[in-house]
Amino acid sequence: MPGTDGEWASDAELLRRHVAGDSDAFGELFRRHRDRLWAVALRTVCDPEEAADALQDAMVSAFRRAADFRGDSAVTTWLHRIVVNASLDRLRRRAVRPAMSAGDEQAFEALLVHDPDPARTADTRLDVDAALRILPPAQRAALVVVDMLGFSVADAAAILGTSPGTVKSRCARARARLLPYVEHLRGNRSASESVSPAQGGDV
Amino acid sequence: MSHPDSEVLAEFRAGLITGRRGARISAHLATCEHCAGLCDSLAEVSVLLAAAPAAVMPDLVAQRLDGVLAAEVAHRHDSERAGGHSSQGREAGSRASRTGPGRQPGRHRNFRLVALRVLAPAAAAVLLAAGGYGLTRIGAAGPSSSAAAGSAASAPPEVPSPASASHAVALPAIEAPANLQVVISGTDYRRATLAQQLQHELQLSARKAAGTVQPAPASVKACELMVTSGISPGTLLLLETAHFQGQPAIVIVAVSGHQRVAWVVGSACSAAGEDLLAMTSLPGTSAA
Repeated sequence: MPGTDGEWASDAELLRRHVAGDSDAFGELFRRHRDRLWAVALRTVCDPEEAADALQDAMVSAFRRAADFRGDSAVTTWLHRIVVNASLDRLRRRAVRPAMSAGDEQAFEALLVHDPDPARTADTRLDVDAALRILPPAQRAALVVVDMLGFSVADAAAILGTSPGTVKSRCARARARLLPYVEHLRGNRSASESVSPAQGGDV
Repeated sequence: MSHPDSEVLAEFRAGLITGRRGARISAHLATCEHCAGLCDSLAEVSVLLAAAPAAVMPDLVAQRLDGVLAAEVAHRHDSERAGGHSSQGREAGSRASRTGPGRQPGRHRNFRLVALRVLAPAAAAVLLAAGGYGLTRIGAAGPSSSAAAGSAASAPPEVPSPASASHAVALPAIEAPANLQVVISGTDYRRATLAQQLQHELQLSARKAAGTVQPAPASVKACELMVTSGISPGTLLLLETAHFQGQPAIVIVAVSGHQRVAWVVGSACSAAGEDLLAMTSLPGTSAA
């Protein structure tokens, strides 16, 4: 990777190099974290095209505002915060999938009809993604950051720009809302673990 | 005590309910199998979410972001080289974001004019290359044109340098050359398959089979000049009028730094603004 001189550079070092004018440093930093950043964007906005747009907004914003990073948090926390903000901004601006109201069981069942392919190893994710859609965006973002990406409540609070108490509360309410679907999620998980290639279709 | 609802149980598990109320819930859980089961299920929600397979960024998204990043880097580099202020670089970079909130076309235009004034001989030479030379270069490169363009890092594209192309200074500095060629095709580019379609179109173009080729009208020239102003010196590889997601669009592919960048702009593209619809970078080989 250019700019590293064969040595591993920390995230903070890459960001410093970028601010100092190194044209490869930001790309290296972003590529290092892009799958996780993609996961946050995708699961927060629940739409791949919107997620790509949100991640692009976030990447450009981080590229230009790198000099504003003060080192109060880890670089990854800062990057995730920018991505979450860009994702929630997109949801606010465009009201993506407004028809999906919270706790709408019928809508959830409708999604299951469209995503029933038991032959895919990504099966659990399909249903987790479907389940996430029934949550209000702020609860969804909190649950993704804490339960799916494994950030601590303190880091999640920094990413979400709120207090640790609010993060806990949003996660708790989100988990309670997903409770009716836990059996389904569990069933799909075991189905995907004992999958036969002959099963399923081409959704 | 009556059964607490699942939200209360979830808040209790998260440590949000303490004191006497917390003690009551705790005592209830010790004796109520139903509520203890709900607590286990709440814990399982977190486990199931954590166990979901990781989302991996699709290649198309990765390519698109690489293209946008390359454009950002090129703009920063150009604005620094042109003695630009950082604010100009930031505004110029806003073109990379389709809906960037900080976009200010007026200031962007100013940046372009500054760049043109400073780099006028180079810009004229590049456009001359684009019109008379760029397309023939694609023809000469044949099927390996993609690889040739992708190796621009090690072997810079044959763009006439300002010094070697001093004859081009005789051209009007701001006008695009009269012989800038545009391919008229019936291709309908889709966002999801943009990079693959562009690869294919560049190969067709190399065989001169992409569609009718004719001199570009003034509006297309102005658009091309606007879009590629940030990447001088660069080499235009394809200028095409086609469709994008069913809408009339202009497609521009040029070498920018170490890679090829493609812009898809709407029919409103002019010297006043590029009307950017999509942007992507293309890998160095013809593999999709």
